[in-house]
Amino acid sequence: MKTKVNRLMIGILMFLALPGMGQDWQVPADQLNIENPSSYNLENVKKGKDLYLQNCKSCHGDPGKNNHLPLVPPPPDITSEQMQANTDGGLFYKITKGRGGMPQFETTISADDRWRLINFIRNYNSEKEQLLIDAPPVNAKILASVNEAEKKVEILAEYEDKSGSYQQLENAPVFISAKKAFGNLLLGQALTDKNGRSVFSVPETVIGDEEGNVTIVVTLDENYKAEQVVLEEAKVGKPKEVPQLIRKEVLWSTNENVQIWLLLSYLGAAGAAWIAIGYVIFQLIKIKRFSKQ
Amino acid sequence: MNTIKSPEESRKVLDTIFSDLTRSITHKDELTRFWFFILIMFAGVGLWGWIIQIDQGLGVTGMRDYVSWGMYIANFVFFVAISLIGFLISSALHLLKISWSKPISRVAEQIAIAGVALAGIIIVMDMGRPDRFLNVFLHGRFASPIIWDVTVVTTYLTISALLFYLPLIPDLALLRDRMTGKVPAWKLKIYTILALGWKGNPEQYKTVYHAMRILMILIIPVGLSIHTVTSWLFAATLRSGWDTTIMGPYFVAGAFVAGAAAVVILMYIYRLRYGLKNYFEDFHFDYMGKLLVFVSLVYLYFNINEFLVPGYKMKTAEGVHLQNLFTGAFASMFWLVQVAGLIIPILLMLIKFFRKPLPLTIISVVVLIAAWFKRYLIVIPTMEHPFLPVQNVPDYFKSYAPTSIEIMITLFSVFAALLIITILAKLFPVITIWEYAEEKGVDKKYFSEQPKN
Ligand code: HEC
Repeated sequence: MKTKVNRLMIGILMFLALPGMGQDWQVPADQLNIENPSSYNLENVKKGKDLYLQNCKSCHGDPGKNNHLPLVPPPPDITSEQMQANTDGGLFYKITKGRGGMPQFETTISADDRWRLINFIRNYNSEKEQLLIDAPPVNAKILASVNEAEKKVEILAEYEDKSGSYQQLENAPVFISAKKAFGNLLLGQALTDKNGRSVFSVPETVIGDEEGNVTIVVTLDENYKAEQVVLEEAKVGKPKEVPQLIRKEVLWSTNENVQIWLLLSYLGAAGAAWIAIGYVIFQLIKIKRFSKQ
Repeated sequence: MNTIKSPEESRKVLDTIFSDLTRSITHKDELTRFWFFILIMFAGVGLWGWIIQIDQGLGVTGMRDYVSWGMYIANFVFFVAISLIGFLISSALHLLKISWSKPISRVAEQIAIAGVALAGIIIVMDMGRPDRFLNVFLHGRFASPIIWDVTVVTTYLTISALLFYLPLIPDLALLRDRMTGKVPAWKLKIYTILALGWKGNPEQYKTVYHAMRILMILIIPVGLSIHTVTSWLFAATLRSGWDTTIMGPYFVAGAFVAGAAAVVILMYIYRLRYGLKNYFEDFHFDYMGKLLVFVSLVYLYFNINEFLVPGYKMKTAEGVHLQNLFTGAFASMFWLVQVAGLIIPILLMLIKFFRKPLPLTIISVVVLIAAWFKRYLIVIPTMEHPFLPVQNVPDYFKSYAPTSIEIMITLFSVFAALLIITILAKLFPVITIWEYAEEKGVDKKYFSEQPKN
């Protein structure tokens, strides 16, 4: 998140500082024709997608949607003509070195991963077969329960196939979070096995409420349309230590914690005074009675 | 007690005493009306200020987040203080069988009633939402000195009123029997009702003495508590200037100083206005002067302890507070109160001349005014030094100055107290007639006789 914001800031700075920068971006001749050493297959494209979502999407936007940040010059959509016109070597050089609003990734992303990113960009090249197809999210269902003794969350995920019946969801990431006052805190993720099942061990360090209860939320990723499962008050966390603001021993405590001897002294003194006053008033009545004799 | 007089003489003495001591009731002239006009007008102006405050909220006062106790609380402490004299003169001295103070009892009791009644009213006036006053009782914390204070103030007010009323009953019977035609019918009706059909038989006197004795004993712990608990409102906190163990006795001693001064002033006014030279005699003033010197010396002693000891150490926060009093923003008020309000009066009153009625009264006025400012010095400087980081707040949050509304309401309390005293003096004799006559040797049996004329 923070790095995204930083990049955004850099982008905005560049937008302010270098408005007249030239459109064409020269790539040294020796770099231009280097071939992509990583092969164009589903696995690499998938990895490239993950990298893209993490590092590039914040500026370049969703592929094909032209929803990139309004920088000058703009970060082109990766499906665009401008992007695809680059040679593999050209893309690699530009990602590695950066320019203006485009950060350099030489030190933050390994060369292999940079090549995988290029494979992902090529997934949208009209001359190549599209390996990764963006499908609309699939309907899915999650069932989950907590094993409090072992501090584990057991999950079963199913998806709706074309015929409308539910099948075990294989090899899908499941996200397990703890519900906190200001949103969900991601505890971790687990992959489902071939039976659509997965087990997640709640880390020792999770802190619950005063009794150690944690409300667990289980979700699937954005490829699935599934209602999240909320497991209320599972005893899987460490009890939260609540500082005792008002101690019992102090004299100035609340009415619930008032010290008995203090209460008795107060009531005793006030009571005695008012009984005596009552007695004096009774004497007044007596005086009046004596006048009738 | 004087020697027993012949029936003729007894009747004559009783008649003079009666006509002298009821002069305050029968006396009616322009000055009285003017005085009532002044009192009601000023009290009315103050009430108007209160209406503004209720309408617009406590923002019209100078109190803000840090200084949340201002002139009202200082004024409250002052009124509780002067009310304490009732317990000293009409109970403590009585029980010690000191007889010179007997004629002064009712004066002291008048001050006690007016003081403690106004103390209660001031607290309500200091509330932002006086309509929620009952919550103090409904949701009060038994462990809080504020609840103890509320309890003890109401108890003290009740006892003071009873202590005023009980010795008044035989007087009321005298008034009922002898004032026909001299006062308006409604007054006579009040006397008749309040006299409880008093006949003056021995059982009645015995009951009065008995009940009085109970009240006099009862008022000692209650009287001591009222001002001790008021001091705990301050001393039970950790604030510099208040965080001291001497607060209880310090307040009680200071209260006697203020109250004794108030009694002297009131005595002098009655003596002058109602021609009571033979009742509030020079020796009464002399004794009151001695009493005032005595309590002032005690108070001075406590003051030295209260300021010299921490002043010697000048501990961090305490040091800031003391610096503020000794040489800072409050220095002139502080030294004026200590020197003009305590040290010089003590020195003067040690000389016999200054215990004569007029000089003593003038000294008492100075002492009383100083006593008021002393309460101001107890409350406000400490409030201006909270133990909180006072940062990024407007300057007017950090220091306090009373606004005109606060001064109006405070003036109201002064005039309302004077109004109560005036009404009491206009309705009832300012000295207990029957006690005084008995002291002069008139037998009780003459009290119930109807006058011949
Ligand atoms: C801070 C925003 C930002 C981020 C993050 C970012 N880019 Fe860029 N990118 C830009 C901008 C702005 C340009 C246009 C630079 C120019 O033309 O001067 C650009 C240009 C490019 C180009 C060259 C396009 C052309 O005109 O030939 C490529 C390729 C590219 N980015 C790929 C990536 C990849 C891959 C990532 C993730 C690893 C990424 N960018 C992350 C802002 C960003």
